[in-house]
Amino acid sequence: MKRLTFLFVSMILMGTGCIGDDILFDTLDPELRITNAPDVLALNDTYTFEAMYLNNVGVEEMVDLEWSSLNPDIISIDSDGMAEALSEGTTSIRVQYDDGTNIFQDDAIVEVGDMTVVTPVQRTGTINTTSSYVLTGDFTLSEEGNGVKLDIAANYQASTALPGLYVYLSNNPNSIASAYEIGAVQTFSGAHSYTIPNTGINDYNYVVYFCKPFNVKVGHGDID
Amino acid sequence: MKKISFILVFLFALQQMAIAGGPWPQPKKKGYIKISGWWVKFDQHYTDRGLLDPNVTTGIYNLSFYGEYGFTDRLTGIIYAPLFTRNTTNNIVSATTNEVITPGEALNSMGDIDIAIKYGLTKPGAKVPVSATLLLGIPTGRTGRGDLGNLQTGDGEFNQMIQIDAGTSFRLGKKVNGYSSAYIGFNNRTKEFSEEFRYGLEFGAGFMKNKFWLAAKLNAIESFKNGATAETTTSASIFANNSEFVSYSLEGAYYVTKQFGISAGFGSAFRGEIIAAAPAYTVGVFWDLSK
Repeated sequence: MKRLTFLFVSMILMGTGCIGDDILFDTLDPELRITNAPDVLALNDTYTFEAMYLNNVGVEEMVDLEWSSLNPDIISIDSDGMAEALSEGTTSIRVQYDDGTNIFQDDAIVEVGDMTVVTPVQRTGTINTTSSYVLTGDFTLSEEGNGVKLDIAANYQASTALPGLYVYLSNNPNSIASAYEIGAVQTFSGAHSYTIPNTGINDYNYVVYFCKPFNVKVGHGDID
Repeated sequence: MKKISFILVFLFALQQMAIAGGPWPQPKKKGYIKISGWWVKFDQHYTDRGLLDPNVTTGIYNLSFYGEYGFTDRLTGIIYAPLFTRNTTNNIVSATTNEVITPGEALNSMGDIDIAIKYGLTKPGAKVPVSATLLLGIPTGRTGRGDLGNLQTGDGEFNQMIQIDAGTSFRLGKKVNGYSSAYIGFNNRTKEFSEEFRYGLEFGAGFMKNKFWLAAKLNAIESFKNGATAETTTSASIFANNSEFVSYSLEGAYYVTKQFGISAGFGSAFRGEIIAAAPAYTVGVFWDLSK
């Protein structure tokens, strides 16, 4: 009897101690976007346009892009995205990707003028909780050196009760699978900032807060 | 730095399921031994505001030894030793690609051992016995393991708890013996953990000529919330503190022979803060050497 009961207890422990699967619903609409469009291109200057294709889970994929100009007499562009300003005026640069089922595209309106102008981009947003933990605040993402700076506004508040709260830049608001981990949250109220090197202003679409140890999403903000 | 999660807070509630409560010390040279397993698997937890939020499915499986021995009629030594504890987390799998985003992990080790002495403040046979217990929580488990540092079988801190128990036994009709007891305790914790006030109630009744006992227990932790939080420590891996709960459990024990028996039970929480939100189960065998 003793051995049987001991065996019974052990079997229950072994039988219930397996590692299973938790399913994460992370599907997004694929997206193609130009990441470095200038406002003005100097006459006779050349400029290399870049674009990013994000697949249905928000992960960047290298795909064959097709570049075109609405008016090739103003700006011509080759298959590698290399553009040349040929005459004064305004035109639209288009990038396309055909995955066999859908065609994705993005356009940038560019003027040809006296000098090339790339206006520093500033993107903003608001962090909102998607959990029962307190998380709120506005933010601004701006270019700084070869990276970006994330400024969190004074109205920011985050719960101090969570274990291991981390902040990320991501292209999927529900997953940190391919996200850029900025670091552990150490400020829980008020204004503060993060400097993020080697990152483009248009590389990410979301600021995401996760409880890293337990894979709990706490909240996120769209980067507009 | 301290590390605690809602996993470990639940250990107390489960531990209480394994430990025989009450103010009754063992008679001199008599004892009680129990080997039991308990387990809990949860995919949601109570937040700091007492609401339910999801988390990666986490499991704790424990095989423990519990023993009491009467050094005198009023002084009893107690040990609770989780001989084997397994902590698991599930794989996180993309619903879109079926790829594993975050692999699950497991940690197997011994848990934290509790050593205690219970002293009868009243003479044996008192109508309302009262006892005092000093419990030392030895951090023999492991903490902060796994790639994410979230696997643990102990809290990593040495705690000391003083507990006062009082109770009484009675008869329910002609055939049923019953008892009730209550306790209050203060748990002093180290390594920046918050101190705790603990209390509980237990009601039990013996049926079938005392061969089958059924016990209902209520246990609670109220945190003093005077320990560290994620805001007051620079440790990036700090886990939550200030956890609280009010839990209930029901356990049955059946004497197969005069001394040997089997037991089974379950427990869950009425309310909680930063603890697992799922029922826990236990089965075990015991030898009641006081008979």
